[in-house]
Amino acid sequence: MTCWGKLNPVNLFRYQFALLSAALAAVLMLTACDQSTDKAGPANSFTIYRHSMDGAPSSLDPAQASHIYANFLAVNLYDTLYRYKYLARPYQLESNLADGLPQVSADGLIYTIRIKPGVHFIDDPAFPEGKGRVVRAEDFVYSIKRHFDPRTRAQGAWLWQGRIVGLDSWKEDGSDYDREVPGLKALDDRTLQIQLISPFPQLTHTLAQGFSAIVPREAVEYYGQEFAIHPVGSGPYRLTLFNSASAVLVRNSHFREEPFSLEAEGYDPDMHGQFGLERLEGRIPPFTDRIEIEFIAEDASRWNAFIAGELDFVKVPVSQFDQVLQSREPPVLKPALAEQYHLISNLESGFVHTDFNMDDPRIGYHPDPEQNIRNKALRCAIIKAFDWQKRNEVFYYGIGQVFAGIIPPAAPEFDTRQDPALVARDLDGARELLSAHGWHTGNLPVLEYGFPANVTERQMFEQFRSFMGEIGYPADKIRPLTFATYGDYARAFLNREVMLITTGWTMDYPDAENTVQLFFGPNSSPGSNSANYSNREFDRLYRSSSSMQASDMRTAMYRNMNEIVIDDCATISGVSRRMILLWPRDLAVLPDRSFTGGFFFRFVAAAEPDTGEAPQ
Amino acid sequence: MRFALSKIAHGLLLILGVTLISFTLMVWFGPDQTYSLVGKNATPEQIAEIRHELGYDQPFARRYGGYLAQLFTLNLGASNSSGEPVSQILKRTVPVTLALMIPGFVLGNLLGIALGLLSAQHKGRWIDRLVTGLSVTGMSISFLVIIIFLQVLLSTPYGLNLFPVRGWQVDDPGSYLRYVAVPTLSLVFVTLGYNTRFYRAVFVEESGRDHIRTARAFGASTATILWKHVLKNSMVPVLTRIMFSIPLVVISGSLLIESYFGIPGVGKVTFDAITSGDQPVLKAVVGLTAVAFVLIQILTDFIYKLVDPRIA
Repeated sequence: MTCWGKLNPVNLFRYQFALLSAALAAVLMLTACDQSTDKAGPANSFTIYRHSMDGAPSSLDPAQASHIYANFLAVNLYDTLYRYKYLARPYQLESNLADGLPQVSADGLIYTIRIKPGVHFIDDPAFPEGKGRVVRAEDFVYSIKRHFDPRTRAQGAWLWQGRIVGLDSWKEDGSDYDREVPGLKALDDRTLQIQLISPFPQLTHTLAQGFSAIVPREAVEYYGQEFAIHPVGSGPYRLTLFNSASAVLVRNSHFREEPFSLEAEGYDPDMHGQFGLERLEGRIPPFTDRIEIEFIAEDASRWNAFIAGELDFVKVPVSQFDQVLQSREPPVLKPALAEQYHLISNLESGFVHTDFNMDDPRIGYHPDPEQNIRNKALRCAIIKAFDWQKRNEVFYYGIGQVFAGIIPPAAPEFDTRQDPALVARDLDGARELLSAHGWHTGNLPVLEYGFPANVTERQMFEQFRSFMGEIGYPADKIRPLTFATYGDYARAFLNREVMLITTGWTMDYPDAENTVQLFFGPNSSPGSNSANYSNREFDRLYRSSSSMQASDMRTAMYRNMNEIVIDDCATISGVSRRMILLWPRDLAVLPDRSFTGGFFFRFVAAAEPDTGEAPQ
Repeated sequence: MRFALSKIAHGLLLILGVTLISFTLMVWFGPDQTYSLVGKNATPEQIAEIRHELGYDQPFARRYGGYLAQLFTLNLGASNSSGEPVSQILKRTVPVTLALMIPGFVLGNLLGIALGLLSAQHKGRWIDRLVTGLSVTGMSISFLVIIIFLQVLLSTPYGLNLFPVRGWQVDDPGSYLRYVAVPTLSLVFVTLGYNTRFYRAVFVEESGRDHIRTARAFGASTATILWKHVLKNSMVPVLTRIMFSIPLVVISGSLLIESYFGIPGVGKVTFDAITSGDQPVLKAVVGLTAVAFVLIQILTDFIYKLVDPRIA
């Protein structure tokens, strides 16, 4: 036993501990003082809206606004020609920078668009004397051209590729900005004209995307590569801070003054009456002076920050649903929370699906017609054995919307009368199919199920394996194919190296064309048709419908395409996830994460029930 | 002088070796950013364009040469994701990480040394068992659990609601203390067990040596034995542990702390670079960490000579 004399060192340690405790107590007291100061004045919280996102953009360049997080910022820092009405559902296009909807020629090939007068870019050193100049039609032309300049590393060119006369050849000729594109012209400072190669009814939707936001050439050239973190736009907000954890936007004091109209935004008292939006009528957006956006990928942290009152908006983590919801369908808040918060359940504008790689002869197309039929039977058996209800229950808290095929519920063309039996599990049917086509445990092929390495994806794989086990698929013949990052996974499936590809698709605009194109033959990998699906009739229908305006006939054609994919058993699909969004009752807002998202920031306001005044 | 030159020459070789290995790993096994940057419905030509823009189509030797040139000139290029110069990113994030990590690092080590001494002094008795038991308990609890527990306990209405859950709006000492307190407690909690176990082992070994017995025979006080003989003679392993932790604290930061507390430090930036395959940022962080390790090693060798002149 070792003992160094009496207890002096212990006393010494006690002194040290006492000192540390005193220091900690001082910190606590200081903190308490600081916090009470912060919490004292509610005035600030009325003009500051604190939003949370479960991901972060790395670039604020609209040309790289490829996901919802980047779009949220792009459409607030920049102007797009069009936007979606704040409240109208199904979604409806509305003028933003454009002065009215486009004038379209009778053949649907020429779009003429006027832009509003007197709109200015924000003041910035990129401009002479630092004064933001007027936004011109030429700026739109420049902004679209940037997508076709490889130096921009733009991600939105696919929206207009092969659509606008001369744009693709402009790129092939070296992307010289001083060279005119015949199909993309500024007729004068306020008028622009787009000439299409063939009719493209979704064009106006693409002009509501963050990708189409209008940037000034001076700023792009002034900041060079750093333009991605120095946004210079004409949107309702300008940026004051941006890093990996947060972004701060402040009101653009020169933003055009357009009174808010409930009717024009699609207000329906039955649907929106509870949100306190009526008091906003006639006021000039943006209603909030400052928007603080926290990028919080970690569910627990995001939820704790919201509960502590540090955030005004949260997408509730699935792990908290039991604590938050009184009932699931429809989602209703527990009474204590309902007193403090509003809730909406936001159906995602997309879906999750698992595609078969039709290019893989073990499961997809096979040169031998007989084997081809057997492969199809195998795919259909797998689909029948897949239990969507369990998938929904385990991973989406049972509030996702399961549907069959490739037109998700958020699309206006979704068939609400779809037969639920299409997504009902049918184990007997699956076994019969296997046996009728000569499949047995000995000759079933090894299934390689790809996914980026993370716990949830792994759990989904294990669930898939257990589903297949129930039709006699040997567990050792269903193997995980894991990748370190989503980028690596994407590389593999775009190179046709993955047999079963699970991905999610978020619709870019509310038109089922955006999802049926996922199975259009010419779009096969490395295009968005990851299944490498090819069906002549499907392709014919797609080509015919792609130039049609929305109509009953076009909807029927989309639904026909949907049935073809279902009949061919090309994909195990699918589920649209539902998000539970919460915000304090004193905020007058209706948040939305669907489609482009983010346009609602300009309409966020404190309701101030006592005075009837909304913050300006 | 000769000692210094020899250390620097060794250091340079070490940097070359470390950078070559890490660069090879990044190039061959690191994430490929092409498919994160490419748009929907990309054609093979567009994929090739992106690869060209990212420099993936250049020969390995040229890319490695460029990397070394960047490191030696400290012109680290620009992030592939944001276009921001890497040096600017580091200038913005490293001070935040330092301000975040230093209190926890210092407290964790000081408390670890104090508890290690206490435990060593009472080796085998209930105090030692208690300290050791608590250390093992601390080591066994996941960092993530500690963070979430302390957030709930100290920062939410479910607990004391004293500190902000997250953020870093530091304008004055008061706000600094407010934002750094819970991350520091988390860091101390998670490192204390490891530190205490390590220091205890060092001090126990030292206290069994002849010169300690001799000092005790001469009637030296406990305090003198502890501070003058045990601690001072244990300085080589203590310094080694502390010094070699510094580059990780400075450069790599703490990903979990920064992510969960919403602090824009270098740890979060590094993690994002790893997952997105942002090689300019990743190369800079890996390279600078290697350089920092080598510099720390050289500095540590000099300090060894100061605390123990017997070291050649």
